[in-house]
Amino acid sequence: MKKRIFSLSLLAMSSVMLVNCSNNDDSSGTDPNAGLYSEVLTDLSKDVITKTYEDLNNKAIALKTAVNALTIGNETALTAVKEAWKATRSPWEQSEGFLYGPVDTGGIDPAMDTWPVDVNAMNDILNSGNPITTATIEANVEARGFHLIEYLVWGINGNKAASALTARELEYLRAAAADLQNNTQLLYDGWKESGGNFARHFINAGNTGNQGYASQKAALEEIINGLITIADEVSTGKIQTPLDEGVSQEESRFSNNSKKDFADNMRSIKNIYLGDFNGGTNSGLTDIVAPKNSTLDANIKAKIDGAIAAIEAIPGTFTDAVTNNVPAVENARDKVAELQVLIQSQLKPFIANN
Amino acid sequence: MIRKGFLLASLGLTLLSCDKNDDESYIDIDLSERMYAGGETTIFSATSIAFRTPAPNLSAADLQMHLMGDTQFEAVFVTAPALVNSGLGSIFNNSSCISCHPNDGRPNFPANLNSRSGLLMRASIFGQDEHGGPNPIPGFGVQIQNQAVFGFLPEARYQAAFIEKTETLADGTVIVLQKPVISLVDPYTNLPGGLMLSPRIATPVFGLGLLEAITEQDILANQDINDANGDGISGKANYVWDPYLRQTVLGRFGWKANTGTLLVQCTAAYVEDMGITNYVFPNETGHNQSNGQDGRDDDPEIPQAIVDQVVLYCKTLAVPGARNINSKSVKEGARLFESLECSKCHIPKQVTGPSSISALAYQTIYPYSDMLLHDMGDDLADDRPDFLATGREWKTRPLWGIGLTGLVNGHTTFLHDGRAKNLTEAILWHGGEAQKAKEKFKQLSAAKRNALLDFLNSL
Repeated sequence: MKKRIFSLSLLAMSSVMLVNCSNNDDSSGTDPNAGLYSEVLTDLSKDVITKTYEDLNNKAIALKTAVNALTIGNETALTAVKEAWKATRSPWEQSEGFLYGPVDTGGIDPAMDTWPVDVNAMNDILNSGNPITTATIEANVEARGFHLIEYLVWGINGNKAASALTARELEYLRAAAADLQNNTQLLYDGWKESGGNFARHFINAGNTGNQGYASQKAALEEIINGLITIADEVSTGKIQTPLDEGVSQEESRFSNNSKKDFADNMRSIKNIYLGDFNGGTNSGLTDIVAPKNSTLDANIKAKIDGAIAAIEAIPGTFTDAVTNNVPAVENARDKVAELQVLIQSQLKPFIANN
Repeated sequence: MIRKGFLLASLGLTLLSCDKNDDESYIDIDLSERMYAGGETTIFSATSIAFRTPAPNLSAADLQMHLMGDTQFEAVFVTAPALVNSGLGSIFNNSSCISCHPNDGRPNFPANLNSRSGLLMRASIFGQDEHGGPNPIPGFGVQIQNQAVFGFLPEARYQAAFIEKTETLADGTVIVLQKPVISLVDPYTNLPGGLMLSPRIATPVFGLGLLEAITEQDILANQDINDANGDGISGKANYVWDPYLRQTVLGRFGWKANTGTLLVQCTAAYVEDMGITNYVFPNETGHNQSNGQDGRDDDPEIPQAIVDQVVLYCKTLAVPGARNINSKSVKEGARLFESLECSKCHIPKQVTGPSSISALAYQTIYPYSDMLLHDMGDDLADDRPDFLATGREWKTRPLWGIGLTGLVNGHTTFLHDGRAKNLTEAILWHGGEAQKAKEKFKQLSAAKRNALLDFLNSL
């Protein structure tokens, strides 16, 4: 999916403030919050971000298994593939609040979340006599990833029957699921300690040389920018663009999973804010905010939950609601935008000036 | 001279006594004005968004257009006909702007030259076209598209061999450099002999509108074509044919300053890099080739409004501000940058003239480039002339933001073909007019080299 980058110049303004109070490069080690920051940065990078990618990779392995078991006419197996796709989609959307590091520098996001699907390329490949392998996909990179699998599994109208699958589609699906999992593996390996260990840039922020963050505050700023970026993307891109230009712009329209996608994007913000993932309870941004400004802390938590609730309150499918329930869609958009403004105008300066 | 003990001690003391020092050779340079590298377009964020943020001083209307351009810059094109982003290819190098300019920055040297990457090959044969530009290869043009949509053949594939070169610094440090030599394989039709090939890696996008707004007069003021001042450094403006204005203009963009305006830079990239026709280039790049016509009457494939949004986007990204300007090492590096005469070509300061985008007008900026061509020696030469640029000449690259490359793009490879793995290697590849500066660099102690690198990394 195209990534709309945050919009308000507020973001730049608060960065100026950050520089003004910390542009002396010799101030490292003197921050009384260094211990707390270290705990938060360690927990977020290891126990939220890396764990999210681990979960994504495990779910992608399960999707691959489900796809390999799929046969023409087997509705039960097709349902299992659909569930496995949704299960993989969830941690991916919950990772979109931190689209920095390997997902970005390794070009993994466009390889997994390829959008739009190049339907002509896909059909040309299906109609050719050539074997379909991960190598085929790597040479036709606009025809791969989540949305290609979604298209083949659900069909353009979302109601494909297992009997409508073809042998060539199954061959494509197997290659696409393997290709997707190759990428989730790269992503998880890029962060985990025994792999690329990108988490070290956060754990050791201030001491990682020119490829790392110059300070813990800069690492925290990266994390907060990630939250702003996804909130902006959901409100002004994922929700607003289909309102403006129609459902061809909707992200997961074949599976009708868009509302879940958007809510999981908000959960990505929640996981980072709270430091929690999959039932784990670790230190998050709340642990920096709550002791000093409980009002702001409560406000952020309420706005996150409010945004999730507003997205889930959209009646029926997103495809339908974009035409028939515009006020509910606009309400969800506005609730996400309110969260973005709060993070940008209050959380970000609070952390910068803490 | 910086001594280790002194450095350690200074860490704790700088807050109290930043203007005190007992080092005689140390000159306290005030870099505070340079902190605002892009004038009022500067932002301060040493994070991965450092290159991709709108200039903070844009008018509301310009910001709105910038944001629309942002979306379009990330649009992935697909095979025609399609509901969304139709028209990729038939032959192309990549499928979106952002995929060559990741995070609006610099792509790495590709692990696989024939995967989608930010590296492409320019090509020509001996002679010039009717406007004095490179002479296109019949059947291939001036750029080799190594990708094609399904059912079409790419023009050729790329293949690299590497040659090594060893540099030994005065303190005994040995550095082994690697230079890619890229050739073409599997051409879709016969390639003529006598090809001239030049690899090009995509460059960062921020600050370009400011560079476009430097007055021609100011750029020409630094020209010294015949080295009249005898400092061994010439500096020559490129003059290039502008296919939109239908006239010769001052070259400002591209590795050889072979493009005059951002409009032509962007529209040429659309058609040559992605196969997307537009109002400046209404014909597919391979329209007279067997693999170049998609057979559809859909040109131009993007409307003028989108082109104009993307051009404005490329003009109006914020420039990242300099960091650590009060660091003693950075200041020492800034002094060395002058005394080694790096700054003779990488001229720190420029000013902009008028601009239709008010945020860009009359700004004092620090791009560290004279916008001129220089002979960079045999090792960097591509032996492929491009308008007035000879096969040994390249435009001085701006250095602003360079120290954030690792953070933004996850690598530190530099130069036109991505051969330098870090800033030290990039310096060591300098030759020709920069030979003297490079030799002086090689004479420096490790501490002074590190100071120079600290300065570069503060930009």
